[in-house]
Formats: sequence, C-alpha cells, structure tokens
Amino acid sequence: MSPNTWVIEMNSHKSRLFTHPQAHPRSQLSNDAFARRAVSNDNPVFEDISTILSVLKASGLLPFYEQLSSYEVGPPSKTNEFYSFFVRGVVHALTIFNIYSLITPNSAQLFFSLRETDNVNQWIELLLCIFTYTLTVFVCARNTKSMLEIMNEILKLDKEVLRQFGVVLSNNCNFSVKFLVVIVCCQAYIMVLRIYAVKGAITPTSYILIAFYAFQNGLTATYIVFASALLRIVCIRFHFVNQLLNAFTYVQQQKLAKKSRRQPPVSNMEHFPEDSLFIYRTHNKLLRIYKSINECCSLIIVCFLGYSFYTVTTNWYNLFVQITNNKGIISAHILQWCLAWLCLHTSLLALLSRSCGATTYEANSTSQILARVYGKSKEFQNIIDKFLTKSIKQEVQFTAYGFFAIDNSTLFKIFSAVTTYLVILIQFKQLEDSKLEEQVQNEV
Amino acid sequence: MSQPTPLVQPLLLQFQQLFFISKIVGVLPQDLDKFRHKNMLEKSRNGMFYMLGVLSVYVVLYNLLIYSFGEEDRTLKASQSTLTFVIGLFLTYIGLIMMATDQLTALFNQGQLGELYERIRVVDERLYREECLLDNSCIAKRIRIMLIMTFIFEISILVATYINLVDYTQWLSLLWIVSAVPTFINTLDKIWFAVSLYALKERFEAINATLEDLVMEHEKYKTWLSGNDATTATVGNRTTDHPPQSSPPPQYDSNLEYLYKELGGIDVGSLRGSGSKNRNKVAPIAHSMNSFGESIPTPYKPQRMNTNPMINMAHESELSNATKVEEKLNNLCQVHDEICEIGKAMNGLWSYPILSLMAYGFLIFTAQLYFLYCATQFQSIPSLFRSAKNPFITVIVLVYTSGKCIYLIYLSWKTSLASKRTGISLHKCGVVADDNLLYEIVNHLSLKLLNHSVDFSACGFFTLDMETLYGVSGGITSYLIILIQFNLAAQQAKDAIQSFNSFNDTAGFVGAATEMDNESSTLYDMVTTTMMSPTY
Repeated sequence: MSPNTWVIEMNSHKSRLFTHPQAHPRSQLSNDAFARRAVSNDNPVFEDISTILSVLKASGLLPFYEQLSSYEVGPPSKTNEFYSFFVRGVVHALTIFNIYSLITPNSAQLFFSLRETDNVNQWIELLLCIFTYTLTVFVCARNTKSMLEIMNEILKLDKEVLRQFGVVLSNNCNFSVKFLVVIVCCQAYIMVLRIYAVKGAITPTSYILIAFYAFQNGLTATYIVFASALLRIVCIRFHFVNQLLNAFTYVQQQKLAKKSRRQPPVSNMEHFPEDSLFIYRTHNKLLRIYKSINECCSLIIVCFLGYSFYTVTTNWYNLFVQITNNKGIISAHILQWCLAWLCLHTSLLALLSRSCGATTYEANSTSQILARVYGKSKEFQNIIDKFLTKSIKQEVQFTAYGFFAIDNSTLFKIFSAVTTYLVILIQFKQLEDSKLEEQVQNEV
Repeated sequence: MSQPTPLVQPLLLQFQQLFFISKIVGVLPQDLDKFRHKNMLEKSRNGMFYMLGVLSVYVVLYNLLIYSFGEEDRTLKASQSTLTFVIGLFLTYIGLIMMATDQLTALFNQGQLGELYERIRVVDERLYREECLLDNSCIAKRIRIMLIMTFIFEISILVATYINLVDYTQWLSLLWIVSAVPTFINTLDKIWFAVSLYALKERFEAINATLEDLVMEHEKYKTWLSGNDATTATVGNRTTDHPPQSSPPPQYDSNLEYLYKELGGIDVGSLRGSGSKNRNKVAPIAHSMNSFGESIPTPYKPQRMNTNPMINMAHESELSNATKVEEKLNNLCQVHDEICEIGKAMNGLWSYPILSLMAYGFLIFTAQLYFLYCATQFQSIPSLFRSAKNPFITVIVLVYTSGKCIYLIYLSWKTSLASKRTGISLHKCGVVADDNLLYEIVNHLSLKLLNHSVDFSACGFFTLDMETLYGVSGGITSYLIILIQFNLAAQQAKDAIQSFNSFNDTAGFVGAATEMDNESSTLYDMVTTTMMSPTY
C-alpha cells in the first residue's frame, strides 16, 4: 500500500526532468512495460476495474457506454440503454413484490427467531437494505450522464499526462476484484446459512426473497467498492501531481545541487513556470472530478453508512448475546451469520473511509508541497502565491451528503458510537436476564 | 560550513541518563557504546535480542502474577461465561499490550529514531547559522524531573498497595512488583516522546523569538532614528555639539528619507487629513517629538549609541535591507518547514504507542473510578485493581495515568500552536519595517507558513489537542454515570430479592447467599463487558 507502488512510471518522468521537456517522451516510453498498452488503440478503458464495471453494467447501475477511442467513452447505444432500463424495471418490480410478500404471511417462515425483538431487527434490516438498494438504483439512473462525464474527464486527464510526460498512470485497483470476491462469498454463505436455518419445506416466495436480498446487498456493496475504486483512481492522479511538484521543492533542489557540484549547475527550476501551469490545471480538474464523484455518490454513501451502522450494531449485539447467555449453548449458526455480516461491513467501511481519507490527504498536500518551493525570482514567487492564496479557503473534503466528512476519523467515530450503543444494550439485556432468572427462581 | 558543526551540541547529549535507564530496562535497543562516544543512536543486533529477551521475561512474569493473584477471582470466574472471562482478561492485559506495543515499535523504529535526531541536529546547525541560539540544558533538567516524578509515583503506588492491600506474608506476594513494570516502561518511552516534542517546541519558539528580536531591533532603530532626527533638529537650533550625530553613516540617508516620508504620511493622515507636500518635511519632526520625545528622554539615545554603536548598526541594517533579510527569512521558513516535517515523522514513529496509551488511559481511568465506587459499596472487584480499595492510592494512580496522557496532549497542542505563531511574528516584521519589498516577501512567506501544518494525531483517528481531551473527559463521565446507574439498579433488585427472601423464611439464608453471589457476578460481567468496548 505504499504510495510509490501506485504510480509506476515515475522514473521515466524523473529522467525527463533532466532532459528537455517533451523531447523524447515516446522513445522513453518504448522501453516501458506499458508501452504496448499505451500505443495500441483499442485497449479497453479502466481495464483495472473492468470486472466491477461489468457487474455494475449488467445490473443496470451503470450504462453500457460505447468506447469511442482509447481516451473517450460515449453514451450507450439505444439497445443497451433499453437493456439497462429493462433491468431497472425488473428490479423495481421485484422490490415491490418483496415488500408485498413481507407484509403478507408468505414470508413468516423466514422469521423464525425465538425472541420478538430479533424478528423486528430482521425486519428493519431487510427494509433498510431494500431502501438502500432502491435508492442506489434511482440515483444511478439519474446520474448516468454525470458518471460518463466523470469517466471522460479522467480519461482526458490521462491523455494529457501521456502527451506531456509520456507517463501512463496505472490505476492499481486490484483490490476491487478481491472485494468483489469477498462480497460474493459472504453473500452466498449468508444465503446458504439462511436456507439451512429454515425449518420445513421452503416456499418459492421465500427463495425469491432470500436470493433477492442477497442480490441487493451484494450490489450495494459492489457500488461502494466502485466508488472507492474511483476515489483511488483520483488519488493516484493527485499523487502524481504531488510527485511532479515535489521535484521543485528546496529539499530536492539541494540534493540536485549536491549531485551536480562538479558539473555545471543544472537547475530544473527553469521548467517550473510551464510545469506549474500544467500542475495547477490538473489539480483543478482533479478537484472538480473529486467533487462530482462526491455529488454522484454521496446520497448512496449516506444511506449505506446508516445501513452499515445498523447492521454492525445489531450483529455485534447478537454476537454478545449468543456468547454471554449462561446456558452454555452457543449457536454456531448465528455465530457464523454474525461474523459474515461483520466481516463484510467492517471491511467495506474501512475501505471507504481509507480511500476517502487518502484522496483528501493527497489533495490537501499539494499546497503543502508547493509551500516548499522557493523560487529565486519574483515571477516564480507570484506563481506560487497565486496557487497558495487560492487554496486557503478551499476545503477539500469528501462529505456524506454534507452531513459529515468521511475520512479515517469517521471509522473511529462509527465504531465508538457502536460500542456506546452496545454497552447500553448489553447492560439492559443483562438486567432483564437477571430479573427473569429471579422470577423463575421465585416461582420455584 | 564545517566550522560551526562542533559548536552545535547534539540534542542527544541531554538524553544520556534517560538512555542508560531505558537501555537497561529494555525500552530502546540501540547501541550503548556508540551512544556514549558519538552521541548517536545506531542499530544494534545485540540490543534487539536483549530487548526481546527482556520483553519475554516480563510477559512470563506478568502472566505468573495474574495467575497467582487471580485465585481470589476464581470464584468469580467460575460463575462467569467464557466471553466475560475473555473481556476481564483484556482489562488485565491492557497494560501488557501497551508495554509490548511500546517495545515492539521501538524495535521496528530503531533505525529511524537515530535519523530523527540527526535531522534535529542539522536543523540546530542551520538555526545556529541564522544566529538563533538554543539552550538545550533545560532539557536535561526536564528529563531529570520527569524521571524523579516517575520513580516517586511508581514507588509510592507500589509500596502503598503492597503494604496496605497485599498479603505479604506469602513469598509469592513479591510478584506484585511486576505489576508496576508495564506502566514504568511505558512512561520511560513516553518521556522520550515528550522531551523530543518539547525540543521541537523550543525550536519553534526560537524561530519566533528571532523574528521578534528583529522587530525589537527595528523598533529601537526607528526610535533612535526619529530621536536622532529630533535632536539634530534641535542641534541645528541650539548649535550644540554631538560627535556621533554630526556624522551619521551615509547608508541611513535613504532609509531616513523613506521613514520621513512614511511618518509624514501617517502624520498627515492622522492629524490633518490633507496636508501639502511641502509641509511633510517639517511635520515628521514635530510628530516624532510628540510621540517619542516625551516617552524617551533625548539624552539617553546618544549615550546608548556611544556605548554600543556597532551592535546597533549591525542589527538595524537587517530589517531595513530587504534583500538581505529575505535570505534570512527564507532560511527561517525552510527550517520551520523542516521542523514541521520532523514533528510529523516523530508523530508517525510514536503513533501506535500513543494510540495504545490513550486507550489504556481511558480504560484504566474509567475502571479505577468505577471500582472505587464498587469498593465503597463493599462489592467484589478484580484482584488486579485492588488499589481501588484505598481512595488515597486511587488518587495517586489517577493522577499518574492522567498526567501522562494530559501532558502529551498538552505538549502536542502547544507545539502546534507555537508553529502557528511563527506567522504572527513574521507579520510583525512586515508591519514594523513597512517596506513594500519586505511586505511582498512577508506575504509570500506567510502563505508558505500557512501550509506548514504540524498536527499530532493518533494514527489519524483523532488529533491530540484540547478538544480531544474535552471529548475524552466527557466520555469518561458519561460512561461512569451509565455504569453507576446500572449498578444502583442492580442493587435495588438485590434488595428487593433480599426482602422477598427474608419475607419467605422457608427459603433460608442459603438461597439469599447464592442470590447475592449471582448478583455480584452479573455486575462484574457488566463492568468487564463495558470496559472492553471503548477502545480509547
């Protein structure tokens, strides 16, 4: 996870800094491992996250966009658009059917728990899940265009970077595939557990309910992973910009001066004005992309965070109740169930907050790095000052629909809130249990 | 630049006693000989093995302690379920976890720690070149005070608990000494952090002081100039004779003129609103007579000038010569940035130990207070928290634990405040010099300073500042209220059952006894379950 692994081709860039800019970008490119991909014209865009993209496309959350060139995507064709529309319609129909069957006694066999509160919990969880997924579908349908715009912006930026520096930015989003596997495994496991737990023959309605529930959960989670992947992509671009800028800081300049003491002093500061122009422009574009990603995803993320918070709390509670009941019978079934849920949601929360935190950090550190550039002439100082002045009041944050900023501290806050609720819930539970025991003993 | 290098004392020179103690106890693995001869922290394989050995000995001894003293809890444990047993273990082992975190992080960072102090030394050299002197001697004093405080606290807690609350007729009771080891090692580690942080803060303050000195010098220079001017005016009138004034250095002429203009502008703006340009030449003299001539007696200035004219001139020229001062301000700004980077690196090195310390502080503080409450109600408490039976010892423990946490938070807060103050001091320079060129430089540099951020945080989860302290104290209070209220509720339930049992004579006392036992165990469950959850 070290930042250096994200951007692979930094060496070629650094070598460029010693040579003249834009002199031999192509020739340097030829000895790269990525040269083939960069030159070939019909490579798919966003190859790193293609798996997750295809899943989302198939489920109608993302459009089947047309690839116009290797650096541009176009709107979907009519048939594909119709397909997405159709899938979304089916999903909504299924949702309505499910809600109907939840209200009617058809689904009674799914709520078999011993206690009344557990059933209520499951109900709420189910409704939250349905709500989250329906919202995701609606928001995605509405944001189709802006999603395509974001993709195009990113691709345009990549193209510019390639033209200017001969650098192909790798996305390094392998984590998306891993998370996809985790999600599928967890959901399948939970589904199996559910089916085994039901006593008696299972009606087809229950099958549909269970399968669709797993489907909804999985897709919501997949969307979150997709959002994190987008954030990671932006983060890598920010990091690239920062690395570019870092070559001009006084620390690097001193190092350079030490190296070239024997030779005539080579200062790369002469490239600073043109490079800084590019850097500022890129940084602004990235900020815009970041903001539009935020706008696209924030409503879904708020919903998911609420759902996740609820699920994590109830599952921890169930886990505690299962283990602390003094009868000594720990139900392996509920244990596995809770652990699967916890594993899924905790990892997703961690992923989301980490990628948000990392991107915000990279975006904010640009001005910090720029503050380390000491230009000799007034012209350079003015260039620096302009950017620094601009970034004073510019708060870069990934907010959850404006409610709160998401970064590492969000994870901390969520878990401290979960523990507080757990403490209260468990204490009530124990008080209740001890009173029950006394009653039983008194009756005896 | 090799000349001033030996003149700068490395910071580590002050750390000698601390290093010897921490080396013996096993807090740091670095090489002892290298430190003694060259004042450098270097990696050492032997030190690593020694430290690992010490760590495993501590772990074994601590487990032995828990085993031998846990017998009193055995009855409690028997009635508990497995999970609460595990949580109880967590509460008892948090000290050990904290110690292991400290030692293992020190092992992993053994190379980087040396680099950190090397960077501080380089910063010192640069500061020395900018005539910004630092006094490291108070750091040694500080270390000594901290060490003495640590010893006093540890020994008083240990001895008081041993004498009052441990059955010292048994030979095994000597193991109780081990219970003080984790906190002691943790404190030593934190002293390293705190003192290094203090050193950084001192460097920030030295930069600020240098900037303020520039301002002071310039103010003096300005008053001298105006005073000089006024006296020359009077000299012209009275035709008296002052040798230094009669031959002012030629380089001041331009400055004088500039100051005249500037003072005249102020004067015209404040007194008359609109004055003719011709009168400006006269007005500053009258104005300076009014503002400075009264407060500072005129004969004082020539005298001062005669005593140390050279120093005066050398410093005066600094702020009035913008190009020369730019270099200095640039350098100070770079040093400031470097110190900020060092602060960040230091925070990175100690982030996990600080997180574990904060978790420990929160847990132990809440647990100790709650068990103190339980002890006053004659309820059973875990044997490792027996110090809660005595309010006096509890107070010492609380002061010791919270002192560590609060001091670190306070120091981090102060350090980041000191780093932010540099901008203010820089602006004072700009204001006092009142020169367009210098203003530009100051604006440029203050924009840079704005982006030098040093915020201390525990793994990015929360920042170490007063707000967090407030939040933590609020958290402790609300947890205590929740815990005590549940305790009260359980107590009432118990009373009800007792009255029921006494009413029901046939049940006899045996039933009541078992009832009570059950009740206390559920309480214990509750507490231990609760304690685990807030992990900070």
